[in-house]
Amino acid sequence: MREKETTLYLGPQHPGITGNMMVKLKVAGDTIVKAETHIGYLHRAFEKLMEQRTWTQSFPIVCRICVPEPDPNEENLARAIEEIEGREVPERAKYIRVIVLELARLASYQLWMGGQSGSMGLYTMPQWTVGDRDYILDLFEELTGGRVYHMYIWAGGVRRDLPEGFADKVLKVMDYLESRLPDYDRLLFENALFHKRAKGVGVIPKEKAIEWGVVGAPLRGCGIKHDVRIDEPYEVYDKLDFVVPTHEGGDVWSRAMVRRQEIEQSISIIRQAIEKMPGGDYYNKIPNPLTWRVPKGEAYVKTESARGEFGYYVVSDGSEKPRRVHVRGPAYVHGISLLEEVLKGANIADVSFIMNSLGTCPPEMER
Amino acid sequence: MLEKENKLAEQIKKTFHSAEVKVMREKRISVQLRSNLIPPFLSYAKELLDFKHLAHMSCVDWLEDNEFELVFILWNYDEQIQIISKTRIPRDKAEFVSLKKFWIQAETYEREIHEMYGVDFEGNNRLGEFILEDWEGMPPMRRDFDTRKYSRETYFQRPGREDAKDVRETITKHSGEEVPDFAKNYTIRQ
Repeated sequence: MREKETTLYLGPQHPGITGNMMVKLKVAGDTIVKAETHIGYLHRAFEKLMEQRTWTQSFPIVCRICVPEPDPNEENLARAIEEIEGREVPERAKYIRVIVLELARLASYQLWMGGQSGSMGLYTMPQWTVGDRDYILDLFEELTGGRVYHMYIWAGGVRRDLPEGFADKVLKVMDYLESRLPDYDRLLFENALFHKRAKGVGVIPKEKAIEWGVVGAPLRGCGIKHDVRIDEPYEVYDKLDFVVPTHEGGDVWSRAMVRRQEIEQSISIIRQAIEKMPGGDYYNKIPNPLTWRVPKGEAYVKTESARGEFGYYVVSDGSEKPRRVHVRGPAYVHGISLLEEVLKGANIADVSFIMNSLGTCPPEMER
Repeated sequence: MLEKENKLAEQIKKTFHSAEVKVMREKRISVQLRSNLIPPFLSYAKELLDFKHLAHMSCVDWLEDNEFELVFILWNYDEQIQIISKTRIPRDKAEFVSLKKFWIQAETYEREIHEMYGVDFEGNNRLGEFILEDWEGMPPMRRDFDTRKYSRETYFQRPGREDAKDVRETITKHSGEEVPDFAKNYTIRQ
């Protein structure tokens, strides 16, 4: 006999939901038959706002598109403007940008480890990782003045040079984070409970992954080796030595293992960038920001964020304000069309677990 | 330099004679087409040229031309080339066909473009309320949508803020210091 179908609303107020969104589930028993993502709880009309702000005034807006990792947004807007305008960026600024982007990736992975563990009831991990993330936020505070939103990367370079002694502080934090990895392994990645919960759950079919628009760790968790930092290197990633980890399986477990290895890679990238960073200018000054006109043109630029390809389509009509800035966050696909596919046949108890694993992030879905 | 880009541009031009194909720079090609040729072109790019990844889909309002520009950004992972394909449709007859039969995620982009610009996508049965709630009237991302008017009519000023005073006056009143108006010499176009 077929089980009776029930509608279940997961979110927008639910401890397991990954932000202000809701998933409407049609369930038969514990099994999900159909899932529908509902967003619209924190639309802030950022893209419309930017059409009425100068180019420089848009930077404090874009970073707010992603709370755990705001810097790829600044990087994208800066790089799009630079591409349209043909503005050169000093070499030192490129290295500083890489350090900032990798620090942001590490901070984002700390939050992800907390969220992934928390969604299966392992609450020690978030206590640890949110605490460890604070050491990175301390660095951001010293460098940029802001802990969460930095407004540090902008067109032409970065807003200020590294403070004296800052590089040593970064290296010290890297040593500390590296020393924490065995603890994370014992508690989460080698935990029998996590193995049991994560293997074979939330599977993305490898043959469909690219066509479905999957990017970042979820794509590499299907055994497909693609990363914007390698495919289309920006800043100085082509001068740094790092590997792109992949895992077969396409499930929550594979995605977790990819991210775990990427933490080590990010630490290594930061160390290399500090070592190789040249002296010199950190900013190719733009003209007066109130009268600065970016020439007519368009650009689609992308950055490899912790959750995958973060893209910006930017159009200039030659005026002081952007004609169009359209943001493509990884969650725009992962949190809607992909989530709706992957949740079919899943267990209700795994919904938050899968959402964390896909990196669903409502602020970048609706901006 | 640009060898593979030029070769691809040639290939596209041979198949779609009316296409305006431009090599923008390394790894970047732009293809401008008539709107009815976009679905066959995207299908051709996906199936025969291996541009499997729909990286982005966007809409730009060119109010002065009375047109919307629909933008489809594709990426070929093996060749590592990006195609920006574009077409223009009239603003007063903003209709296009849904691409969700090619890419499931196109449905989401279409839902947003429909809600924000009012473009109808034939074949997409999920057009309707998506990000906005109980929205009536002009889609808000259209260039002629007056945000100031909307906000004046929808929201109210907090008591004491009705006159939208220049903050410099308040600072001067409390601190006794003059605050220079850096922006007064410049006019930002509205």
